Amino acid sequence: MTGPASRKIERAPTIIIRNLSVSYGGDTVLRDISSGGDDFSPGRLIILIGPNGSGKSTLLRTLCGLLRYEGSVTLGGRELRTYRRKELGQIVGMLPQHTAADISYSVHDLIGLGRIPHGGLLSSRSEADEEVILEAAGAMGVERLLFRQASKLSGGEMRRVLMAMLLAQDPAVFLLDEPSSASDIKHAALMFSMMKDLSSAGKLVISAVHDINLAARFADVLVVIKEGRIMDIVQGRDLDEEILGRLYDVPFELFTSSGGERAWHARRV
Amino acid sequence: MNSLGELSAAHRRRRARSILALQAVLLLILALVSLWRMLSGDVDISPSRIVSLLSPFLPLGSETPLDAIVVRSVRLPRLLSALGAGASLGVAGVVLQGLLQNPMAEPYTLGIASGAAFGGALVISSSVMAVVPAAFIGALFAMAAVYMLAERAGGGRVQVILAGVIVSAFLSSGVTFLKAVADERIGAIVLWLMGGFSGSSPLSAAAVWLAAAVSFCVSWLYGRHLDAVSLGEDVGASLGVDERKLRLLLLSAVSMSSAVTVSFFGIIGFVGLVVPHIMRMLTGSTHRPLLSCSLLGGAVLMAAADGSAQMCNELPVGVITAMIGAPFFCWLLARRRMSNL
Repeated sequence: MTGPASRKIERAPTIIIRNLSVSYGGDTVLRDISSGGDDFSPGRLIILIGPNGSGKSTLLRTLCGLLRYEGSVTLGGRELRTYRRKELGQIVGMLPQHTAADISYSVHDLIGLGRIPHGGLLSSRSEADEEVILEAAGAMGVERLLFRQASKLSGGEMRRVLMAMLLAQDPAVFLLDEPSSASDIKHAALMFSMMKDLSSAGKLVISAVHDINLAARFADVLVVIKEGRIMDIVQGRDLDEEILGRLYDVPFELFTSSGGERAWHARRV
Repeated sequence: MNSLGELSAAHRRRRARSILALQAVLLLILALVSLWRMLSGDVDISPSRIVSLLSPFLPLGSETPLDAIVVRSVRLPRLLSALGAGASLGVAGVVLQGLLQNPMAEPYTLGIASGAAFGGALVISSSVMAVVPAAFIGALFAMAAVYMLAERAGGGRVQVILAGVIVSAFLSSGVTFLKAVADERIGAIVLWLMGGFSGSSPLSAAAVWLAAAVSFCVSWLYGRHLDAVSLGEDVGASLGVDERKLRLLLLSAVSMSSAVTVSFFGIIGFVGLVVPHIMRMLTGSTHRPLLSCSLLGGAVLMAAADGSAQMCNELPVGVITAMIGAPFFCWLLARRRMSNL
């Protein structure tokens, strides 16, 4: 495999969650979540599924160190809240669901922002940074957009540019919130194979995904979240109508292609 | 990859050249405006005499001639004060707009001006004459109030803006109250509030330049962090930027520099609002080039506005900045919209 993911070979740290609760705005969004020893360990693509508002984004933002929490989250054996912001920027990177809409940087500059955690205050971009930027742009197929204004990109293009920024940041832990939202089918496939590559290169990749069929197809580990709790942690191939039915409170129907590919659709109630 | 590398290198060279060109043009205009400002006034002094008077080594004899006093103690401090005040407000506008991601943010919309106005008006009406320190303390007090109010309300960007609006409104009503009870001192208050550079001294010029330099250096150092937080709070944080710390540091720096400006020269709006927008249209949003161009642009605009104010029988300079700034800004906005279509 080529691309930025191949640069670092050392394994990413494991995340272990014990009795995690997160509340904001007076609401408890995550309730007493715990993970097994190697549920959130590198090398396997971990995908979070669950209805809107179930707490997927909150979990990702917590793991990125953005939210106060009760309980314990350890990253490489060290409690998350003891990390300094800059340290965390070198280890953990996040693709948030929402970003500022009107960004008038060039795409090139935008991807270059990914290098901030790796430089001091005085430094500007180095030649090595420049190489990383071009490589990241290539990996996400946005080379042709490099010299465009970011404010003129479509939603899907913007997601890929932000993903390229994340690749330039080169963290050990990737937290992706709906990375393929607003993408067309071709680019959604690119995004998923990128996640797969990153995780098999030893990164810890955790991604919230809306589309259960893509999730089931690509995930090594599926973390099923409902109403702020982890309902199930299963292997991707073990997803079935029973779990989906419990998760979304609608009956699901399984379709199987002649090649053995499976897809679920919610049945009309 | 290689050709992409070359393309990218060429693109970056072009960008660097166009920013350099813009800075060169601004410097040229700055030089012309400075020349104009040094030449204009009631006393006729030839350009060559001005140049020789500016040299600190010129022996003047026992009695300082009138033209030396005019050049050294009146025109030069006034020019430098106007340049420094404009530079300081331009930088402050860039920082506040970037930090709070709000196109309306500038030192005056965030309560600094009304804080200074209240502090100044308070001492004028109680006849203590330390107006500048009082205005300075008032401005810093207002900023601290805005900051703490915003923190208590959750610490988001919108909260900072709202707190600024609230503190501004409160202190403005305080100024009105002071005017209402000031009796015969109301004239002094009104005159002071109008502001201007006619009372500039070497001290005011030095103070405002020192403040501008400090706030520019701090903001420039954190320029890339400003880039990062302007993508949204989550992106900034995931890039390792602690937005709260950044905000405290930069707000303190630009509040200090704006407070110095307001307390010496009064309320001169619009420069801090318009200059960053104009420069952003010309250079893009990347903060480091934007900061240096806004420093120059603010200085130019303010010195030119002060010159026009002096020509119009010492009108308050704030009237001129708004009169030049607003239509020009409208024209730019309209033009940009057309080119986007």
